Order: sequence, then C-alpha cells, then structure tokens
Amino acid sequence: MITAAGLRKRFGAKTAVDGLSFEVRPGVVTGFLGPNGAGKSTTMRLMLDLDRGEGSTRFDGRRYREIRHPLREIGTVLEAKAFHPTRRARDHLRMLAAANALPRTRVDEVLGQVGLADVARGRPRGFSLGMGQRLGLAAALLGEPHTLILDEPANGLDPQGIQWLRDFLKGFAGGGRTVFVSSHLLAEMALMADELVVVGNGRLIDAGPVSGFVGRFTTAQVLVRSPAADRLDPLLRQSGAQVERLPDGALIVAGRDAPAVGELASAHGIALHELSTRTASLEQAFLEATAGAQEFRAAAPVPTREGPR
Amino acid sequence: MSDALRFEWVRLRTVRSTYWLLGMALLLNALIALAIGLATRSEESRAFESDGLLLTGATQFVPLPFAAVFAGIIGVLSVGHEYRHGTIRPTLTALPRRSVLIAAKLAVVAAVGALLAVASVALNWLVGLLTRGEPPSLTGGATAAALVGYVAFVALWALLGAGATLLVRNVIGVIVALLVLPLIVEPLLSALSNVPALDWLTPIVRYLPFGAGSRMVATVDVSDFGGEQLGRVASGLVFAGLVALVLVPAWVLFERRDA
Repeated sequence: MITAAGLRKRFGAKTAVDGLSFEVRPGVVTGFLGPNGAGKSTTMRLMLDLDRGEGSTRFDGRRYREIRHPLREIGTVLEAKAFHPTRRARDHLRMLAAANALPRTRVDEVLGQVGLADVARGRPRGFSLGMGQRLGLAAALLGEPHTLILDEPANGLDPQGIQWLRDFLKGFAGGGRTVFVSSHLLAEMALMADELVVVGNGRLIDAGPVSGFVGRFTTAQVLVRSPAADRLDPLLRQSGAQVERLPDGALIVAGRDAPAVGELASAHGIALHELSTRTASLEQAFLEATAGAQEFRAAAPVPTREGPR
Repeated sequence: MSDALRFEWVRLRTVRSTYWLLGMALLLNALIALAIGLATRSEESRAFESDGLLLTGATQFVPLPFAAVFAGIIGVLSVGHEYRHGTIRPTLTALPRRSVLIAAKLAVVAAVGALLAVASVALNWLVGLLTRGEPPSLTGGATAAALVGYVAFVALWALLGAGATLLVRNVIGVIVALLVLPLIVEPLLSALSNVPALDWLTPIVRYLPFGAGSRMVATVDVSDFGGEQLGRVASGLVFAGLVALVLVPAWVLFERRDA
C-alpha cells in the first residue's frame, strides 16, 4: 500500500505538483494518468525522495529513504535510458545488486525475464529505446519487489513489447502485489489499469476504478434508429432527454438509458430498428476531465519549465 | 555503508575510463622515471633528491602532476557519470541515504588515488632499478616523507575532483577549473608577486593551495626553503583545506537538492 499525502513541488514560479494526495492499493494495476507536463514524473520523484518538496509518501508506513534495502521492496523505472553507455547491461545490474546485497544470480534471472539474455554482455550505447526500457525493468525486478513504480514504461516498446508488458503487470498485480504506472497514453491505460489516479496541472482530478472515471466524466448516450424518428424525437424531448439528430436520421439520446428509450417507444407503438448504448471511451473522459487544466495552462503565460531531466 | 562501498567498487570497475586513466597515470609517471633513471645512471650524478624525483614522477616540480590529473578525473567521473548519464536516480533509489552514498564515493576514490600513488611508486622503483642497475632508495634524505606526502596528495586530488563535481554537477566545467587554476592562475600570481609594485602578493602566494599541494611531495626538506614557503605538513593542511572548502558545501547541497 502506497499513501501519498500533500505532495507539492515548485520549480521557480511554476507549481509542478500542487497538493496531491492519493492511495495505491495492492492487487490491482493503478494507472497514473495525465497529459504531458501534468507533473507525473515529478510526483514519482517526490514519492521516491529524489526530489525535495512538501508532503510525504509512505510505503506500508515508511518513507522511501527509511527502507534499508529498497530494491527488495520497490522496483522503479523512471527514465528509459539511465545507463552509462559503455557499462555492460549485466554490469549495470550487478552494480545495483551490490547496492542492496542481492545475489548475483538474480542478474541473469531478470535479464532472461525481460528478454535481454542475448545482450547481457552488450553495452547500452547500442540499445534501442525499447531495449533500454527492458533493461530498466530488469533493474526494477532485481530485488523481487512487491511494488513497482514505472514512469511511461510503454514508451519505445513495439506492439509485442507493450502486450508483454501489459500481461506482465497484470500478472504481477494479480499476485497481490502493487503496480503504479504512469502514462499519457489513454488507450494504453484503459487496457492496462484497473484503478486510475488522474492528474492535470499538478492537481488531482480523479481517483478510483477506470469504469467509474469514465462514468463520472461522460454521460452515456443511446443511439436509436426508427422509421418513426420524427414522432419519437419530440416524445423523448418531452421526457426530459436531450436529442441530437444525425444526418442519416438516427437519434443520439442523452439523459435517458436504453431501457427507458425502448419502453417509451413501445408505449407509443413506435418500432425501433436499432437501440444501443454508446459508452464514452476513456479518451473522451480524459479529455473532459483535464480540459480545465489544459485551458488554464494555455491561458496563463507562465514559464512551463519541465523538471530537470 | 558496506552495501554502498560495494556498489561504488563495482561501479568503478565496470567503466572502461577507470582503466584508461589509471593506466595513463602509471605509464606517464614511468616514462618520467625512465628519463630520470637514464640521466642518473652514473653514481656521481645522483642524490637522494633524484631518487625522490624518480619515484614520484617529479611531482614537486610540475604544477599539475600526472597522478593528480588522472586521480582527479577518476574523482570527477565518480560523480560526473551519474549526472551525465542520469544514473544518479537509479543509484539513489537503490541507496536513498545520500550521505552514505557520498561517503562511499569519497572513500572509494580516495583509496583508489592512494593505491594509484603506491602502485606508481612501485613501478617507478622498478624502472629505476632497471635503468641504473641498483634500486632507488626509498628512505634516503626527505624521500620517505615525500612518498607519504605523495600518497596523501594523490588521494586528496581524487577527493577534490569528486567534491567539485558534486558541487557544480558539470564535468567539463570542473575539469577546466582543475586545469586552469593550477596551470595558469597560480603561476601567474606567483610571477606577479615578483613585480616590485605587487610584492604584497608574496605572503598570499605561500598559501596558494595547488602549489601547497605540490610541496607535500617535496623531495628535499622543505624547511630548507627558509621562511619563504610553508613546510610539508602546513602545505598539506592548506591543500586539504581547499578540498574541505569544496566538499562541505557540496555535501550539504547534495542532501538538499533534487537528484
């Protein structure tokens, strides 16, 4: 269980993280969602005591810096290519293993686990972004942690790699462990995450199950096709629904669910050719939820310096 | 702490630059030993002083000795690589107690610097033996004291490199400063102090830290210099003072700054 309370970080005049509090529970994949520049990476660095700011993050009750061998409990990937370009992949992991008194055998195990066994003796200078992500993930898995914190881990992965990552994280969380993974790719989060922490402009916008987020920020619509659309339209409006007419004659109804529309039609003897619910995508929910934050940013000409990379 | 030391030791051994830098320092010092050895093959051309110069690569007379440069750069890179390649964050997620990490880095680079000095003396001794046919004396005259000073001097340079880089987090800037100050600024001040109108510089010149550092490795008894210059131990304290002056704010800032 991760508990972040009152995280706040300023870079000069810009407040990158503004009083962020949330919880990350074990057993599910928690997505950390927000547009670029929303403060996701800064938040993660604050959580790990890398950046100095206000607030505190507790991992099962302890601050990160209080954990004696953090790699054994929390695995992290913050940047895709945080390696010395000529230190061999295996040596990079051996170095981190030494830092947390982990057995050397783990190095080859994790390299195999992420599919880098063939380049164990390779130097990261020649690695693709995807290979860099895998090496970062290998480092995160080194201490067999119960918690993973990953910043945009899907960046640079090919479709197979993303599929693999998704399955891996689901399996990892399925075993009762904790996953906190950031992304600005909404489609990716929809497939990967069970819970969401949504931020915009450094502030918390929403937290909870993915389905709840979609429900809260969009109204489900009902698509109706009927030969008697002209009669149905005013009836729907009278019942309090908002109706929009598509060029092909179909009606888009908001404010009434499909059963209600069907019953209304039936009560007036109107035949329906199609009646379906259109659930808004996570994409739409996200755009609506973060629209305010983005507008604010576009309107205020403050220097939007990113955190030091 | 032992975990951090082990980390730092593996870190140092798994970059190629470490081997290049140590190798260059040993080779260049051995070449100086070769030159001195060949020049002092006849017994009458020899003094205890020449033994000391041969063993320490004439460090006393060089404003920026080879061992100091290369140990300094090893110190610079021990911190600089972490910032240049962004590994400081993975490193700190493994070792989140920052003071422990710095202490380990400083301990390892200082030890490597000291060992470099010892190894270089051993190699130069061998070169002296081969060129002259008899072993250079390690204890004659002020040689023993110069060798002790040499080991401390090279270790301090490694600490200086690491500390300065921790302070400014810019490898190029630090290397430029570590070349310009001893090679240009200090000799310039020394030269200017000889101008009558600027003779008020003279007492200051005694305390110029890099010059003081080199006097730690003086191969004659420094008290022979009279009141003009500081003695060996006092010189060592001046140079160590410079290192401390850099390290203390670097340490404090590292604790407080974003990684």
